[in-house]
Amino acid sequence: MIHKLLREPVLHFLLIGVAIFVAYGLVAPRGNDSTRIVVTQGVVDALAREHQARWQRPPVEQELAGLVEAYVRDEILYREGAALGLDRDDPVIKRRVRQKLEVVAEEQLARDAPTDGDLQAYLARHADRFTRPGTVSFEQIFLPARATAAEVEVARASAARGVDPARHGQSSMLPPRAVNMPLDLAARDFGVGLAADLAKLPLNEWAGPVRSGFGQHLVRVTARTPSVVPPLAEVRPAVAREWESERRVASLSDSYKKLRSQYEIVIEAKNVPPVAAR
Amino acid sequence: MRYLNLNRWLVAMAAILVAACGPSPDPAVKSAAPAAKATAPAPQSATPAAKSATEATETVQLGGASTGAGSMSADLGDVQPADPSKFHKEPGYSPYAGRRYPDRPYFGDSHVHTAWSADAGGSGATLGPEEATRFARGEQVVSTSGQPVKLGTPLDWVVIADHSDGMGVISEIKGGNAEMMADPTIKKWHDMFAAGPAEAMKATMELINAQATKKLPPLVMDPKFAKTVWLKNTAIAEKYNEPGRFTTLIGYEWTSNAGGGDNLHRNVIYRDGKDKADRVLPYTTFQSENPEDLWKWMTEWEKTTGGKMLAIPHNGNLSNGRMFEVKTFAGAPLTKAWADERQKWEPLFEAIQMKGQSESHPSLSVTDEFAKNYELWDRGNLVLAPKKPEMIQYEYAREALKNGMKVEQDTGANPFKYGMSAATDTHNGLTAAEEDNYFAKFPSAEPRADRWDEDAMKFGDRVIKGWELTAAGRTAVWATGNTRAELWDAMKRRETYGTSGPHMVVRFFGGYDFSADDISRSPAVAGYAKGVPMGADLPAAPAGKAPTFLVAALKDPKTGNLDRIQVIKGWVDKAGKTHEKIFDVVWSDTQRRKILNGKLTPVGNTVDVARATWTNSIGAPELIGVWKDPEFDPALRAFYYVRVLEIPTPRWTAYDAAYFKVKMAPNVPMTTQERAFTSPIWYTPK
Repeated sequence: MIHKLLREPVLHFLLIGVAIFVAYGLVAPRGNDSTRIVVTQGVVDALAREHQARWQRPPVEQELAGLVEAYVRDEILYREGAALGLDRDDPVIKRRVRQKLEVVAEEQLARDAPTDGDLQAYLARHADRFTRPGTVSFEQIFLPARATAAEVEVARASAARGVDPARHGQSSMLPPRAVNMPLDLAARDFGVGLAADLAKLPLNEWAGPVRSGFGQHLVRVTARTPSVVPPLAEVRPAVAREWESERRVASLSDSYKKLRSQYEIVIEAKNVPPVAAR
Repeated sequence: MRYLNLNRWLVAMAAILVAACGPSPDPAVKSAAPAAKATAPAPQSATPAAKSATEATETVQLGGASTGAGSMSADLGDVQPADPSKFHKEPGYSPYAGRRYPDRPYFGDSHVHTAWSADAGGSGATLGPEEATRFARGEQVVSTSGQPVKLGTPLDWVVIADHSDGMGVISEIKGGNAEMMADPTIKKWHDMFAAGPAEAMKATMELINAQATKKLPPLVMDPKFAKTVWLKNTAIAEKYNEPGRFTTLIGYEWTSNAGGGDNLHRNVIYRDGKDKADRVLPYTTFQSENPEDLWKWMTEWEKTTGGKMLAIPHNGNLSNGRMFEVKTFAGAPLTKAWADERQKWEPLFEAIQMKGQSESHPSLSVTDEFAKNYELWDRGNLVLAPKKPEMIQYEYAREALKNGMKVEQDTGANPFKYGMSAATDTHNGLTAAEEDNYFAKFPSAEPRADRWDEDAMKFGDRVIKGWELTAAGRTAVWATGNTRAELWDAMKRRETYGTSGPHMVVRFFGGYDFSADDISRSPAVAGYAKGVPMGADLPAAPAGKAPTFLVAALKDPKTGNLDRIQVIKGWVDKAGKTHEKIFDVVWSDTQRRKILNGKLTPVGNTVDVARATWTNSIGAPELIGVWKDPEFDPALRAFYYVRVLEIPTPRWTAYDAAYFKVKMAPNVPMTTQERAFTSPIWYTPK
């Protein structure tokens, strides 16, 4: 029985395995890179610098000890987690790395300043984006949404007689007059509809009533200035910003397309609609 | 091969995660930062080979003369911009001379996350701070889910407040990286940094100048030395800041989830520009989750830079009883010093946002019919760890305002002297909080037929459904002009109110002499002359007089008419017990509405849910009135704040149902009453 067992190859393999294991344990160094954490002077200096950057003073001894321990703890738990593969397929980590790469790509771009010629051309091409809105000066009499046509006419007649418009209609926190108000701000304060009316009502007469989200208004426009495309000197920072922004977007997209073209994308799954790089 | 390449990037990028930036005013940096050796420990995540970078600074003129820019609106124009300290009572014959007060509120969002927030990025957002800022200004962008989107009403200002955790940095010039020291210019700068604060400042200026004029040494242009996320962030803010037109306040979110999910988050808002913001790294919860440590950091920051900052906490509703607990973070009893500190750094509280409202809870304000079923997220904390009923009293602003006065009675200082603000806390870069234009909080919740029925948050079997997300909010700031300094100063003095979204104009003044004569088209004239604005303290009560209040509201031209203005009073009685009472002060449709059993009858409802429309045939475009406290006791502490309610209008769920032609479950609210809450005015017996 014993003899038979001793001749069993499986046992031989087992014994050989145990022997190798024991031998390795004797020969191999205690610990290896994955269970060894070296806190170099460089690490400590960097920790101290980061503390300094946040607190504007170097860490005191106890704080430094705490920072080092936190560093060690980060390291250990990170390595243990990474060993289990917890860093893989983590969308947060992936996005973070992706963002960093994109930031680097943007930074390289940010090194070239646009010339005046570039900006002049950009301004000409996108004049609408830099146009200063026209302005309007006007007086208005606010009437409730339910005011009848007769009531509106009474207000119009007395306004035409020269009674201060602030004294008619319904008292309201809406301003009774505005001077050189940009039309976009008029839209913000009175609503888009009334702003559009302000841009086209006849000058110097009590026109309307026009409706807004508040109610009805009789409006006398007293002056208007047209929208203008300002010269580059007046809008340089804005034009440069737009120029850079457009290039940034284009370049991120280009560099992605370039990288993507170097990859072979195999979509094995079914029912995936075709996608293109965006 | 490509893989290896990518690996190299990763190592370089990991390096970015460490270290420091900015000039050091402390000579001790010399000893702390000798040549950082490249002897980093083996194959690790964060090799401390810190690198440095600099940054173009387009400095914007801050503070100084107020601009009154973008003004000309609510209650009268023609207002001279102003020194806030001079608002009140300038004597003189001319009624127009010295009229110096904020003449319009500036609307903004103090809480926008972009792809640069780890959680936002992780959930798939692709819009960064630049796109988010452009969107807030009113430009059209394409959302993460590929849909074109544009704001109905552009904002006046915005704070891109990405999470500070993980805003990595680099600074190797100070460290003295050997590779970089080979360049004589860099070597020179390094020596200047080491030579003390004055020299370090000079070096910083030279660096900034070199960057601006594109004359940086080529080595600094190596992508490995790219600027940090924080410096990028402030650069974008700087680029889009146009005083008078559109203001970008610099900020970040310090995201403390105490005990793993008790929401103690705060947004830190800077008054200053990039030059100061860049000098110090944002505080992160890697350092501490204790708000006291954040205040310490803010103290240090102000001391170092000479700048100013404040913090706005949010989502008390998800703090499981910790946001306004009446003890310290560590559990010690509150002291006067602690309360002073909290009040100093935290003038405002974000009372409503996409994760529900934290203004009032029906279990605390049992008679408040407008707190009932209104945007409540009260089932747990941020990870939905279940909430016990007794936690709720420490989560909501109204209760905190009451408890704060009680603490003041006991310790001598009020830790919860909060003004009101509101924001979105959006995480897809889109502050799209309009009911008919709601892009929600995460890319996965952008408009889609079934978003209402999906799980917005899910932890085990505890779920918040998509329809529970709130389309809110905005902070209105009564600033003298649309600049960083003016907006910030108004926030600091709490002259603000929060809204669930609409840009309604709300005035609120307290004094002892307001009467019906003060009801005019420009309430601010009497308001500032005879009283104090929202956020301030009433002076001592003259003998025999009770506080009077001038209240006024003007609707948003785009949204619903106004239902009513209420004053919400809270007080502490002689026995130390807290109370609240809601007074209806002015309302619309007076001919057909009356007070029944102490309650004003409802305004009605014109909403056609199926078509997601309503008519302004009920309600009023504007309400104004004067109210005197009929129950005033000069011996008791009290606060008063205003709530303005709109008539019912379709909630975002109704717009979704109509657009996508879906039928939602019967428990999904389809209408809402949009609202504003102002900062309180406090009365303290002398």
